Amino acid sequence: MAININGPLGPKKVSGKAIARPTRSLAVQSYVPEIAKGLGITMKHFFVNTKETALGQRNDPVLESIDDGINCISYPEQRRPYPARFRGLHRLTHRPDGSPRCVACLCCSTACPAQCIHIEAGEYPEGDPRRGYERYPKRFVIDELRCVFCGFCVEACPCDAIRMDSGMHAAPYDSRDQFIFERERLLSFSGRDGTFETANPRKEPGEPGHPGVDRTKHH
Amino acid sequence: MTLELILLSAGKALFMVMFGMNLAVIMTWADRRQGAMINDRVGPNRAVIWLPKRVAQALVLAPAVLIAAAVVGYVVTHKVEGAPRLGRALLFSQLAIFGLWATLLAIAGRVARSGVKNSFDAWVASIGDPRSFLWLGLGAHAVTLAAAGLLRGTDIGRTLRDVGASAGPAVFAAAVVGGAGYAAWSFERVERVGLRLFGLLHPAADGLKTIWKEDFIPPNADKFLHGLAPIVSFFPALVVLAVVPFGDTLCFGSKAGRIDLTQVMRVVPREGLCTEGAVPLQVLDVNVGLLYFFAVAGTGIVGAALAGWASDNKFSLLGGVRAASQMVSYEVTLGLTLVGAMMVYGTLRVDEMVRWQSQNTWGIFVQPLAFVLFFTASVAESKRIPFDLPEGESELVAGYFTEYAGMKFAMFYFSEYVAVVAGSVLLSVLFLGGWHLPFIDRSGIHLQIGDTVLFHQTLSHVAVIVIGVLAFIGKVVALCWLNLMIRWTLPRFRYDQLMRLSWRKLLPASLVNILVTGLVMLLIAGASASVQAGLKVAADVTQLVIAVAGLSLGVWFVVFVTSPVKKKRILASTAAQFAAHLGGTRTARMGA
Repeated sequence: MAININGPLGPKKVSGKAIARPTRSLAVQSYVPEIAKGLGITMKHFFVNTKETALGQRNDPVLESIDDGINCISYPEQRRPYPARFRGLHRLTHRPDGSPRCVACLCCSTACPAQCIHIEAGEYPEGDPRRGYERYPKRFVIDELRCVFCGFCVEACPCDAIRMDSGMHAAPYDSRDQFIFERERLLSFSGRDGTFETANPRKEPGEPGHPGVDRTKHH
Repeated sequence: MTLELILLSAGKALFMVMFGMNLAVIMTWADRRQGAMINDRVGPNRAVIWLPKRVAQALVLAPAVLIAAAVVGYVVTHKVEGAPRLGRALLFSQLAIFGLWATLLAIAGRVARSGVKNSFDAWVASIGDPRSFLWLGLGAHAVTLAAAGLLRGTDIGRTLRDVGASAGPAVFAAAVVGGAGYAAWSFERVERVGLRLFGLLHPAADGLKTIWKEDFIPPNADKFLHGLAPIVSFFPALVVLAVVPFGDTLCFGSKAGRIDLTQVMRVVPREGLCTEGAVPLQVLDVNVGLLYFFAVAGTGIVGAALAGWASDNKFSLLGGVRAASQMVSYEVTLGLTLVGAMMVYGTLRVDEMVRWQSQNTWGIFVQPLAFVLFFTASVAESKRIPFDLPEGESELVAGYFTEYAGMKFAMFYFSEYVAVVAGSVLLSVLFLGGWHLPFIDRSGIHLQIGDTVLFHQTLSHVAVIVIGVLAFIGKVVALCWLNLMIRWTLPRFRYDQLMRLSWRKLLPASLVNILVTGLVMLLIAGASASVQAGLKVAADVTQLVIAVAGLSLGVWFVVFVTSPVKKKRILASTAAQFAAHLGGTRTARMGA
């Protein structure tokens, strides 16, 4: 309703549809029908949920989450499947011989906004063809409590050596130092397909198909 | 007083105490577990005892083998002829059919739930819907019963009788052992078996825990009264069960002045009670039964008030005062409500009241208003939601038991549940006919409307008594369940509303109930003979109504349980789409 701001002051005539004040009938005042209705709803939930639990017909908590009934996930017997690109705990991928693919370039620890990655690089021994070509991580430590699971380390890695596709989330451990994952711990996690290597193969220097140059500077 | 009588008295007392306490424990469980179910949650069921595989197999197999051996042994050693042989044939053929379909239904349900694991499972699954076993079984029950009625006296009937009497026990034993064997065999694939008992281990663990918790007494509390209060609160709630009959009078024959325990197998006459060897199934057989109940239940108030006063805590004191005034108020309604019932039944003996109801009609039909009033007042007496102002955790921390911990707290908590059981017990014997089921009297099943007898089948005395005790337990459990439903539905009152409900609604209503009851009784006493006969028929019709209602509830239950579940699968989120791509959420059955 438009208000005439230029009109005289005083009580304005209000126009509109009059709505009857709800009457409080005896049924409402006695509460009895409403109590019966409420009990009915309680009993419906009781019978349906008890039956479905007893007969093993409970809702699938994800696929039928919109349905009436119990939608709880009974963790850890039931688990919500994580999306394919879920960023879980880190893992270090393996070379075919089981050593880490990581070359200790420190790209990940540099990219890390939470500064939770600590790497101590080591040189390969004299005579190893990789000496002077790449290094290896003597220590590779991730503080999973500092980590913000942004995934920048995975993006930064030039060797596909660090991944967050383990599909696991951090379990509630007893103390903070249990969240500090060392190299061997990170190497022990597999991807969600169960493999420790990655799909894009790694060619050692000198192997056919190796894209770069080797120590003798031959392609 | 012979040794048998002393043993029987001890047994009755033990039964009643165990009944009250166990039902209270089960209610503690149900309050958590079913309360969660009502809220669409699973509830606590994680307490588990892991049994090694062999132990679990032995636990499953041993009782089954014992039952089977007992049945077969009894049948082989006790030969019968004539009418008892027909009874045995009927009983065991029904048992065998029940054992067969129940076992197969359980296995089929398991196969449908967790998949085919062997060739037997494959055969069960090939039959189709598990429900077909239920329908086949119910059909077989009906066919055998009809055959027994139609073929009685003929040669085929006699042959069938002999088959039933000899093969029935064997098939029953085989079904029991087979079902247990399947369960034991299915344990072979697992390392250990989790015993969860539907979450019943949770209250057991909680109860054990309270024993070892710190027994805290406030420094300035009255130590004696602080310790006495839980006992004063708990004791009356349990002791009131003493005057309640849980079954009809048991008649033992008498042999040379001593009770003869074997005489319960015969059939007793419909009317009257036995003159010798009669054992009333109630702990305390006193003629002021109901007054005893109120006298003892009234002292429960003292426990809460003492606890509030002795704790040296203002919250406790407020809770204690609230509890005392609330319980006194509702005690008045509780007593006045029952005056109408006492007028109708004409006695204070609880067993006589049940007997009146079994001869006429259930109390709920003659005193419907009193039933509602008494139920409301008994919920209030138990100090539970929606009447739990004495605890009122939002304003009084925990009310009168704020300063209690460990086992003393558990006793207060437990006495609430026992009070609910006691209220339900009283409600069932006063208004729902106690041990009485429609059309079952002391001689057996006797369907009679007015003066026309429609059906009669004699049952042995012990069978009638056992049916009665089971009916009593069933009614009490149903009422306790209703109490739980109310607790999980209604919000808490405000204190002035609570008092107003008692003094301005329930109390006048109970006085009106007394007045109307008196008027109606005067009218009936002065009515003509035809009206009296009409009332008798009406009473029988009410029994028919109860029977039909009970049967329809049973049918509804079967239909409800067997009706297929329709679920809406909606892949609304990427998580759901991903889960569907992987073949669903990894599900595991949570031990029910």
